[in-house]
Parts: sequence; structure tokens; C-alpha cells
Amino acid sequence: MSGYLTGVLVVLAFNVIAAYAVYLPLAAGQLNLGIAGFMAIGAYAAAFLTNEYMWPMWAAIPVGAALAGLVGILIGIPVLRTHGIYLAMATFALGQVIAAVFLNLEVVGGAAGYPVTDYAGPYVVYAAAAGVVVLMLLISRTRFALCLTAVKSDATVADLLGVSVRGVKVAAFALGAAVAGFGGALYAHHYSFVEAQHFNVLLSVFTVLYVLFGGTQTVWGPLVGAAFFTLVPELLRASDQWRYALFAVFIIVFMAVRPQGLVTASLFRLFRRKAEAA
Amino acid sequence: MTAASAPALAISGLSKSFAGVKAIRDLSFTVPRGVTTALIGPNGAGKTTVFNLVSGVYGVDAGRIEVHGADVTRMPSRKRISTGVARSFQNIRLMPHLSVLENLLVGQHVRASSLADLVTPYRLFPNHRWKREARAALEESGLGRWADETVSALPYGVRKRIDLVRATLAGASLLMLDEPAAGLNPSETNALRDHLKALMAKGVTLLVVEHDMHFVESICENVVVLNFGEKIAEGPLSRVRQEKLVREAYIGTDEEA
Amino acid sequence: MLAQQIVNGLMLGAIYMLVAVAFTLAIGVLNFLNFSLPGLFMVGGMLAFGLMKAGWPFLLAAAGALAAAAFVSLLVERFAYRPMQGGDPEVPLVSSLGFLVLLENLMLIQFGSDQQAFPALLPDLNIRLGGLVIGIAQLISLALSLGLVAFLSWYLGATAAGRRIRTVAENPETARLMGIDIARLVPQLFVASALLAALAGILFAVNYQQVSPFMGEGVGFKGVAAMIVGGMGSIWGAVLGGLLIGLAEVLSISFIGADVVNISVYGLLLLILIVRPQGLVGRAPSREKL
Repeated sequence: MSGYLTGVLVVLAFNVIAAYAVYLPLAAGQLNLGIAGFMAIGAYAAAFLTNEYMWPMWAAIPVGAALAGLVGILIGIPVLRTHGIYLAMATFALGQVIAAVFLNLEVVGGAAGYPVTDYAGPYVVYAAAAGVVVLMLLISRTRFALCLTAVKSDATVADLLGVSVRGVKVAAFALGAAVAGFGGALYAHHYSFVEAQHFNVLLSVFTVLYVLFGGTQTVWGPLVGAAFFTLVPELLRASDQWRYALFAVFIIVFMAVRPQGLVTASLFRLFRRKAEAA
Repeated sequence: MTAASAPALAISGLSKSFAGVKAIRDLSFTVPRGVTTALIGPNGAGKTTVFNLVSGVYGVDAGRIEVHGADVTRMPSRKRISTGVARSFQNIRLMPHLSVLENLLVGQHVRASSLADLVTPYRLFPNHRWKREARAALEESGLGRWADETVSALPYGVRKRIDLVRATLAGASLLMLDEPAAGLNPSETNALRDHLKALMAKGVTLLVVEHDMHFVESICENVVVLNFGEKIAEGPLSRVRQEKLVREAYIGTDEEA
Repeated sequence: MLAQQIVNGLMLGAIYMLVAVAFTLAIGVLNFLNFSLPGLFMVGGMLAFGLMKAGWPFLLAAAGALAAAAFVSLLVERFAYRPMQGGDPEVPLVSSLGFLVLLENLMLIQFGSDQQAFPALLPDLNIRLGGLVIGIAQLISLALSLGLVAFLSWYLGATAAGRRIRTVAENPETARLMGIDIARLVPQLFVASALLAALAGILFAVNYQQVSPFMGEGVGFKGVAAMIVGGMGSIWGAVLGGLLIGLAEVLSISFIGADVVNISVYGLLLLILIVRPQGLVGRAPSREKL
């Protein structure tokens, strides 16, 4: 495989993982605009474990993910008292604070960045992304996923039917944080370098963009959105400097025409029915 | 009183104000088990507020609410369904983007909320018991053919009945229905009546807020009349509608009562 | 020195204040977190720079930049706000972000990605007060910002048009029943918030003598923070929040270091959101949407 193609596919894999980190809480109606902060936690924690304690990568990465999830629970409990735009802004602020804390943490290199001794090859990255997708597909087939949709769709009714709305929200938020931490930890080990500046607002915001573009009604939306956002700008490379401008125009027009995103539940049922008929 | 002999719903001394305005004042009534009861009164009398207080959407200012003998007054709203009380909303509150079957599966939640239930990828099993149970309940109500449709695409009357099936699947033994017949055409009203009678035959106690007095007459044994948050009459509809207070309350609003 | 830093903080805060008021108009009345506003802020600064480079005098260049921002804002209304009715509440956020990316890349194509020096308009004109140094340009922009906000507050509170806007903010349904033409009001609000954001961008360029296609991001996000810290939907809350965020930024740079700015500014925002989500002077939220 050419180096260029490998590079693009690796970026795609990271974008897919990040997209599902945003998708989980969003499926319960909570916009997390601070996903990059949780990626940073996973990245630095895992890198620290491999560098300073000589942990093997396969142990350090899950621990980094778990740590991000734990922070998700601890922070989620007070932050999820807010909702709507307040929640979006709280997570946004949270992402900024976390990235800024790492920027000032000299033990992991501060602003100079933090080299990582272990290396995860492209196939490890592909496999990890595939693993995340499979996990999400499995989750989407459980009653937990049903609870997420119920909470998003009508929290009052979900509550009256016995669903613990707060429990579901915190769980979705923390799981999303853990997925983000997983992606971050993997990122650190693939590029063998972590710098806090990478985990900025725009990373969070663009990830949200993929997910909303793909559509949040089904589990396939984030995958389609991430693929689209990674590959189309590459295809537009011919037009070089105009590509992001063209891409932005496309997003604006697309969302105006199809605000529910590319992949919707009813579209999906239609496909399934056609497949059954065939 | 044991749960077996306790009334389905017992309300005593209930009061609730909003911003200083008394919506419900010192309200007491009981719904005996198996006695279909209507809660009637002019618009703004506080009927829906009673439902909101019993289901826990609002907290009470004073008074006591018991469901099947269990005091639910201070119970968090999401736990009340496990005492057997479920409700419908005036404007149907189904989850619009979900299929009919998925809505019913949400209804089962109270009986399927252990961690193992939550993380089982039940949808991978074509004949999982939760889906089987929901389909059976739909078939029984004659709604089987809608199972896989998206709710938002269905006719109003069908959605109202799916709302009922969902409450039944939650295991409700006391069902509070907020204007179940409103907006239905005559054939839909008949289907609804049959559906409710089938539920009653299964031992579900109904408390109904309804303006259509013919409908009330056809299914309810007892009525409680509210006006300005107070009970002004109680008893069989034929007797209650003769009472002076009731007639006064309805003058200029609903001549039928 | 502390007093000097406080003055600098207030000057920066005045910029955040204008941006925060622009966001407040969009959120408070239209319930729309308009992420194109940082882009319009940048359009203000960059276009004023570009037109001056093409030989226009400052005031004309500024007017041109303001007009362009107003026009773009009408496009945002048409393509990001109007189609959102009925969809998921996050959707307009995405489209307005799309506008931010578009504007940034158009400017990048035109002017390159580097930071450019904005010409000094009133060089070396300073007031010295005791040990304090206050630039005339900064003083003018502070006065202009405060005057504008005071005018806006008076306009919303005391004029018939202002009352109409507040009715829409309270309840669009009631407003419609009262015969208020919302379809006409909305574009006007978009223009007003665009003018505030673009003016903030021009003042930023004049005061700090630098512009770049990405100058809107940091300032824009801090403007949102200022709006929330003060209290969403309240103009004087936005003023208070803007000045506070400006102070927090300048003071933490000069006493702790540039790297901690985000910790103090966004830490303040996070704290407020958890402890007092309605903001310092805001009322408890009654309705909200993204």
C-alpha cells in the first residue's frame, strides 16, 4: 500500500473512533464539544504509562481509555446537570481546560510535546477502529441504545416509563469519553508523539460536524460522516486551496436541504425492506 | 390495608399551587380496584394536574397519594411505574423516530432494567422474548401490521392505541388516560372502547379524563367532578349530572354534562 | 503593574463584550448559537485591512467591511437558520460552523494564512495618567463599544421596535399572534449581530494592529464564554462577562504566564456553568435550544 493511502486510512480510522465518541452522548441528546480533552487524557495517560513505567502498549491504551471514562463520570455528574446549550458550552470549556492543563504539565513535556517510546503500526490502528465500530454495532442492538434514543426523544416520558434519565446520560457521556480516550491513546502510540495543541477546540468541533453530517438517528451515521469528511477533501485535492471552501459550501447547502443528516432511520428501513424483497 | 384490598388509587388532602395560584385544593378521592372512573370538569379545573401529581411530573405541596396501598407521594417519578401506575398524555407522547415495536420495547423497560437486560444485544436474535411479547401484545390489539412502521407516519387513532399498548407492557394495573377519545373518528372511538374494555377485563383499573360524555357513560362506573381544583361531586354519572353545582360549573361551557 | 494590567484587561474586555452582545442577540432572541459570528468578526478585521491595502481610507474600508459582514449574515440566515426549523437543534450549529470554515478559507485564499500587520491609525497618541499609559485609539474604541451597547439596551427597552424584539424573545408564538412580522424581524437581527461582531473585529485590528484569517476563533469562543458568564440573553450580562473575561485573560498572562490563559478563562466559564448556569446577572433559563 502506498504511504499516501496508508496515511489517509489511518486518519480515517482515528476520525471514525472520534466520531463514535461524540455519537454516544449525542444519541442521548447531549452535545459534547470537548471531546478533544478526553482524547488528550487518554493520550497522555497511556503515553505516560509506556514511557515511565514500561507498560506494554496493549495494557497502557485500555487503561488510558478507562481513565478518560472515569474522568467522564466524575465530571459528567456535575456538568450533566446543565443541558442544551449550557451543556455544550460546559463541555467546550472542559475541553479547553483539559488541553491547557496538559500544556502546562511539565512532567509530560508541557508545550514542547511528549515523545512516546512505543509504536502502533497502521494495521493495529485499522483493527482498533474496526473493533470500535463492531462494539458500537453491538451496543446499538441493546436495550441501552433504546434507552439513549428514548432519553433524547422524550426525557419526561422515558422517566415515567422507569428509565433513569440521569444514569443513562452519565453512562453515555462516560462511555463516549472512554472511546475518545481510547482514540487518543492510540493516536499517541501511532504518531509516537503527543502535543497538547493537537487536542484543540477545532478537533472537537469538526468531530461533531462529521457526526451531525452523517446523521445521529442510526449507528451508521458517524461512520459515513467520518468517511465522507476524511475522503472527500482528499478527492478535492486537485482544486487545492479551494477545497476547504468548496467543502464548506457543500456542508452548508447539504444541511439546508437535509438537516437530519445523510443516514436516517427511515432511509435505513427502506433499504432493509428492499433487501428483503430482493 | 394490604395491597390486595387497597384501592387502586387513594388521594387525600392533595394541594398544589403554581406561582401562588391554587391549581388543586384539598382534593380527596379514591379509585377502587376495578372501578373505571372518570375525572371530569371544565377546562382548567385541574384534571391533568392531578395526573401530573400522581405520575410525579410535579411534586405535591400537601397531601398524600397511594397507589395500590403504597405511598408514592415522595417517590421519584421514575420509580412510580413499578407500583403499577402508568399514564397517557393528551398530545400523544410516543417516540416519533422509533418504530412501533421499539416504542413498546421502551415500555417494557421497568421489567427489563437489570444490567444484563440492558447490555444484551437482543436485536441480534430474531425471536427474542421481549420482541415476541411486544408483537403478541400488538396482535392481540389488532395492531400487528403496524409493528415495523415508524411511529410518526401512522394515523392518529392508531398512535393513541399504541400508546395504550405501551402502558400495558409496562405492567400497568392503574392506567390514567388523558382524553383518550379526543380527535378520534367514530370507528376509531369504537376500536378504542373495545380496547379499553379488554384491558378492564384483564383487571386493569382505568382513570380517564374525557370530555366526550357518551364515551364516559359507556365505560365508566364512577365520576369525580373537579372545578377550580376542588371536588364538587362524585358518584355515578347519571346522578352526578343532576347536581346543581355540576350544572353551574358547566354553564356556558359544555351543555352535555 | 496592576493598574496598567486592569486597564489593558478592560480594553480587551470591550472587544469580547461586543462579540458577546452579538451572540446574545442571536441566542436571546432567536435561540440560535451562531458560530458564524467569529467568522464575521474576522471578516470585519480582514476586509478592513484588505480594502486599506487597496488604497481605501480607513473609514471607507471599515464601512465596506461592515457592509460585507451584514450581507454574509443574511446568507447565514437564509441557509443556516431558516431551514433549521423542525430539525435537530444542533443542525444550525453545524451550518453556521460551515460558514466559519468557508469565510476563513476564502480569506486565506485571498490574503494567505499568515498574520498581517494592520496599519497604526493613531500612532503614539497616548494619554499618560499618573503611571498609566492609555492609547487614544483604545480609549475611542472602549467608548464606542460602551456607547453602542448602551444605545442597544435603550433601544430594546424603550422603543416600540425594541418591545417587539423582546416579545419575540419571550415567546415567538405570542409574538406571531400579536401580529409581529417575525419573518421581517429575523434578518434585521442577523444584520445587527453581524455589525456588532464585524465592528469588534475592526476595533481589534486597530487596537492590536494585527489580522489573520483565523483571528475570529479565539476571540469568538471567548465572546461565547463572556456571554454565558454574564448571563445568556442579557445585554448587560454580556458587558459584565466580556469585561471579566478580558480581565481574567490579561491578569493571568501578566501574573502567571500566557499558557494558563485557557485554564483561567474557561475554568471560570466551567465553574459558572456548574454553580450558576443562568450566569451572573441572568434569570433562570425558561426555554433553550442549540
